Amino acid sequence: MSDGEVKIVKKRRRLFQYENVGILFVLPAFVYMLVFVGYPIVKNVILSFQDVTMRTLTAASKPFAGLANYTAIFHDAVFTKALVNTLVFTVACLVVQFLIGFALAMFFSRNFKFSKPVRGLLMMPWMIPITVTALMFKFIFGTDVGILNYILQSLGLIKDNIEWLISTNTAMLGIICANIWIGIPFNMILISTGLTTIPKELYESASIDGANKLQSFFRITVPLLKPTIESVLILGFIYTFKVFDLVYVMTSGGPVNSTHMLSTYSYKLSFEMFKYSKGSAVANVLLVILLIVGIFYLRATKEDDM
Amino acid sequence: MKLRKITSVMMAAAMTMGLLAGSVTVSAAETEDITLWYYWENEGHQKALGEMIEKYNSGQSDYKLTAKYVPFADFKKQLSIGASASELPDLVLLDSPDHASYASMGIFADVTEKFDVSNYYEGPVASCTIDDVLYGVPFGCNCLALYYNTDMLEAAGIAEAPQTWDDLKAAAEKLTTDNVSGLAFCSLQNEEGTFNFLPWLWSTGASSYEMNSEGGIKALTYVKDLVDAGVMSKECINWTQGDVMNQFISGNVAMMVNGPWQIPTMKQEAPDLNWDVTLIPKDAEFASDIGGENYAVIAGGNEDGALNFLDFATQEEQVSFMMNAMGYISADKAIADTQFSAEEDAVYKKFVEQMEYAHARGPLAEWPEVSDAISLAFNEVMTGSSSPEDAAAAAQATIDGIVQ
Repeated sequence: MSDGEVKIVKKRRRLFQYENVGILFVLPAFVYMLVFVGYPIVKNVILSFQDVTMRTLTAASKPFAGLANYTAIFHDAVFTKALVNTLVFTVACLVVQFLIGFALAMFFSRNFKFSKPVRGLLMMPWMIPITVTALMFKFIFGTDVGILNYILQSLGLIKDNIEWLISTNTAMLGIICANIWIGIPFNMILISTGLTTIPKELYESASIDGANKLQSFFRITVPLLKPTIESVLILGFIYTFKVFDLVYVMTSGGPVNSTHMLSTYSYKLSFEMFKYSKGSAVANVLLVILLIVGIFYLRATKEDDM
Repeated sequence: MKLRKITSVMMAAAMTMGLLAGSVTVSAAETEDITLWYYWENEGHQKALGEMIEKYNSGQSDYKLTAKYVPFADFKKQLSIGASASELPDLVLLDSPDHASYASMGIFADVTEKFDVSNYYEGPVASCTIDDVLYGVPFGCNCLALYYNTDMLEAAGIAEAPQTWDDLKAAAEKLTTDNVSGLAFCSLQNEEGTFNFLPWLWSTGASSYEMNSEGGIKALTYVKDLVDAGVMSKECINWTQGDVMNQFISGNVAMMVNGPWQIPTMKQEAPDLNWDVTLIPKDAEFASDIGGENYAVIAGGNEDGALNFLDFATQEEQVSFMMNAMGYISADKAIADTQFSAEEDAVYKKFVEQMEYAHARGPLAEWPEVSDAISLAFNEVMTGSSSPEDAAAAAQATIDGIVQ
């Protein structure tokens, strides 16, 4: 072997050192993220600082607008309404889904006969395509032909049909109900998994020490489930906050904009009214809120690792 | 030695590729591909279009047209994305009120002088014209009219179809029972809803840009009264025109406002239902609005190919075939007059008559914003979240911000 060849071999070895190989393995995912996640986000941020409408969409240079789009949307009553709606929707769904999901998870953890198949069946709402669920709930909440009004009438609970999805007061409630139904299995299955990681011995020794059910729930189950609960709530927040298809199919943001979410309003601005820059500004507000929640999630998971 | 072998193999491969590429270019010069986007989900419409395209493709060998279906809800989005990414077809069949918006994006080719539209209805031609430049050719048009269930009218003792707003309200009241709504028309908070509301607004003499006028408030009040009296179902704010038609043929609605494109489906789905069509009842004057599609050639696409196809598609034979198959009225008056001569097509004649009173929406690049303001107004009024006066004033404020 000549000197030159030895050098090349050494170089090659250095190239395939442990850390470098690690980078190579990360590279495909990194490039993928850069192209399919990074680029659209950057592009969208740029778009929101420009004035892009149908007249400037195909123009080579797009006029710079500064913060004008953001000022405009924060003065837009529909945007504020959508922001409040999204928050109300997310919190309401999250709380109810979580409580019911938790209760069901506790119930099925008792391992009675058929507990496994029934729990499997309860996953159904999570597996059905959301548009199908949305159409189904649209029928259920129909005013004159809906089964819910029919049941309520038969039970004598209401006298006149309730205009679920066509009244500005109740449409939001209808969508929240539909989303809760979808989200329960997600909460239940994650908490069920969390429950299996708690050693049975803890409960046994607690009961020997004289702890009652309530005490072992709040002193053993809840603290040991803390990491699971955090994940469920934060992931649930992200999934719920960016809701689109359910609302789009059930009400398209109506009646009278009463059920617009940030996502549906952004879509409407961009693709129905051709105000691309305002639409992307709304989308960016959504992004920033989710980013903040995401950072909390990362911090929460990091603490658990330590 | 080895190197030489590899080089020779590669050269051989390159030569073969070259030959192949050569042959590909030769055949491409013979038939060029042209693509068309359209949004009709109606099976009959799709079949008719497919048949016409098949005829075009087999009739000549310079071009081969392929049509791509894009759902209506996605159509605007796809065109916008296509425009910004420069990935557009060569030809589109689009909803006429959107024509001005896309033309102002600069994605449509100027076809002035390429087509003679002097004998076409004014409205459809106006919808594809901006500043005297023609950016497309009307494909065909339709308008809205009033359908009524003749058996129900007879049972309610109504001898004549309603002609005025008062007649209509009185008739709707008589026709409404526990299970039947007297009247329905699509009132969605979007372009489809606006399309169905405008005849009422225009009938008072007000224009689309005069919501806060005596006429505008009157139209809003009239619709509000129908809903409040329970003769028009409030669910109309969630019904598409297709939903309204389904309610009508199921016997849940006695009268509806709808377009002629529903007729083929209605005859097929409910052959025993007895119904007829009349002009939309008037306040001061008869009014309806023009719907339908326009062809537009994409600038920078295969313009020659697209124009070649349009020459074919605007011939009388093709137009008559498409219009009759789809239940449309030709935008070409001469052809429209020859349509629907058969006795079973008499009902279409009412739509041709209604066309005389039909206006176009816009044309205005910002029409989607105006339309949104109008549809918000009647939704506010119908749901009771605003009075006609307040809704009209709010809509006017938006419109004034767009149209000076």
